[in-house]
Amino acid sequence: MSTSYKGWKKAAIVLLFILPTLVSVTLISLYPIFYNVYISLTNRSRFHYAPPDNIWNCTTDVMGKYCFQSPLLANYADLFGPLVTPESLVSWFKLLLLLVPIVAVYYLERRARRKSLSKPETWWWWLLGLLGSGLIWVVLDVNAAIEQLMNTGDFFIVMFRTFLYVLACMPFFVFFGGLLALILNNKYIKAKGAWRTILILPWAVPNYITAEIWKFFFQEQGTINQLLGLVGLTGPAWLQSDLTAFIAVVIINIWLSYPFFMTIILGALQAIPQDQYEAADVDGATWWQTLTRITIPLLRPAVMPAIVLSSITTFQMFNTVWLVTNGGPIRGAGKPGATEFVMIHAYKMFRTDNYSASGAYAVVVFLLLFAATMISLQMTNITKGATE
Amino acid sequence: MRKPTTFSLILMYAVLVIAVLIAVYPVWFTALASVRPGQRLLTTKLVSMFVPTEITWDNFNQLLFENAFPLWLKNSLFVAGLTTIFCVSLATSGAFAFSRFKFVGREALLILFLAINAFPGILSLIPITQILRTLGLFGTHWGLIFAYSAGTLVFTTWNLKGYFDTIPIDLEEAAMIDGASPIQAFIQIALPLARPALAVTALFGFLAGWNEYIMALVMLPGKENMWTLPVGLVSLAGSHSVPWGLFAAGALLISVPTLIVFLSMQSYLESGLTVGGVKG
Repeated sequence: MSTSYKGWKKAAIVLLFILPTLVSVTLISLYPIFYNVYISLTNRSRFHYAPPDNIWNCTTDVMGKYCFQSPLLANYADLFGPLVTPESLVSWFKLLLLLVPIVAVYYLERRARRKSLSKPETWWWWLLGLLGSGLIWVVLDVNAAIEQLMNTGDFFIVMFRTFLYVLACMPFFVFFGGLLALILNNKYIKAKGAWRTILILPWAVPNYITAEIWKFFFQEQGTINQLLGLVGLTGPAWLQSDLTAFIAVVIINIWLSYPFFMTIILGALQAIPQDQYEAADVDGATWWQTLTRITIPLLRPAVMPAIVLSSITTFQMFNTVWLVTNGGPIRGAGKPGATEFVMIHAYKMFRTDNYSASGAYAVVVFLLLFAATMISLQMTNITKGATE
Repeated sequence: MRKPTTFSLILMYAVLVIAVLIAVYPVWFTALASVRPGQRLLTTKLVSMFVPTEITWDNFNQLLFENAFPLWLKNSLFVAGLTTIFCVSLATSGAFAFSRFKFVGREALLILFLAINAFPGILSLIPITQILRTLGLFGTHWGLIFAYSAGTLVFTTWNLKGYFDTIPIDLEEAAMIDGASPIQAFIQIALPLARPALAVTALFGFLAGWNEYIMALVMLPGKENMWTLPVGLVSLAGSHSVPWGLFAAGALLISVPTLIVFLSMQSYLESGLTVGGVKG
């Protein structure tokens, strides 16, 4: 690129520009990761809180001091142990089989796209794939497999619920964000700026404030039940039972997140060349055809990265859910609550001085999310061109 | 685009109106509570759930003149302002290098940045405390500013780099032929074109400093006169009988600057948010 700098001079300039960023990121973001890896290998807890005199030569049984675990990965073994028994492995295998039809469709579709110039109609392939998964679900009794894994301990339960949470939120984010963006992109709608400005409000208000307000809304004597009362309905005690508490945090998150998707999709819509639509009009395409053949395919490259990013932040949701439900409702002593998602679980371990266990947990979550990021990057080609 | 039928136009407006009601109500509800006498969120009177029936400015009075609120406001402005400045200058300089030079380890660094994003930030509190203590910044606003700026750098550098990449290098090369150095060319030509992405970077920096709660709570222990607004406000809500009216008034006052910043930068948001390299 910039060709006029060469050799050591180029190196010096690059270093000069990049060093401040590197140093701050190393201290504030990278060091904590290494620190957690280190702590996760020790038995640091309420009873072993202080560093030992010599970390290379100590034992784990000295009160008040921590040391490396032996075996070194004992904390990880505690997390994973029950998930790799023969019985659990069979359950995992069943879960994996569920994905086979969907992955197959993904690859078939990609091949079909490459081979033909016109884009083939593929939505029914996906339907078929989903049906295949459903069939496998019934035949292999996946319910029982999930049940078995649930009984292996907190790790699986919390992960599973967090995945469900992300899966429950994403379609709504995209749907509502997309719907509003499509409307606002219609040139026959008046006062676009004003609508847009008001609709972005949930994003602009600090979320620890809106969390307090929503918590009040969902109380048994709260606003939502008052409004339901107006039409003669008796609302549930939302935050007291598992399912309704889960639904409540999904609703709150939709309210918080649709403006981000609306903004991203609106930006992408405005970049679609108008002549494509004009050509479609001339050909007499219906509104639905225009949407599925032109708009959605062209939105994909902008929306997929947003979905990936947002899935990761949703997976790491802490603030709002913590303030609204505290991870509850409680399901018995020592059991994770119904909305105790990954970050809340880690934080609770940390708060009960279970430092080494929470460290190991954080490292595992980190590796999982990183792997998910890299895989989805490859699938959506975000980095195409970005790291070249 | 064909003109939609009257029916579909009405349908679209209906969706917009419903969406606006849902978007605004929680905020409007807060506003109502802030001017309602009696420090309560709950009102059994149906009308008062939608329009103010009695108005009192006591909460705002108390907050602004009998409370540490103005002090917290000053602290928050200082922290958020400087975080914005640091964030924009560091991210610009880093993203410039990533976008305009090819060097060994460039790709690895970019991926490392993405990886860092995947780490649960909540568990970074202890190590960050350690670092700030070592640097002598613990318990100071400067420590917070440093931590906030560094924390947002991962996202903002990627975002800015993605935007810089879309600005054709030819423009700068033309300037270089006229004798400008690559850095001069970049500053004079690429930076003005990158205004939307710079605005987004500034916005993220500002929000990081203005809205963050947990780190501010941990890093400024027991020093009420050094608290930022979120810490102060949550301390109000955390007391035994919550003065909800006061809380609501504070919540509104805190939201105003964020709203102004957001709304004034709105047009930039759509074009400036590249989310990792793809510009629509």
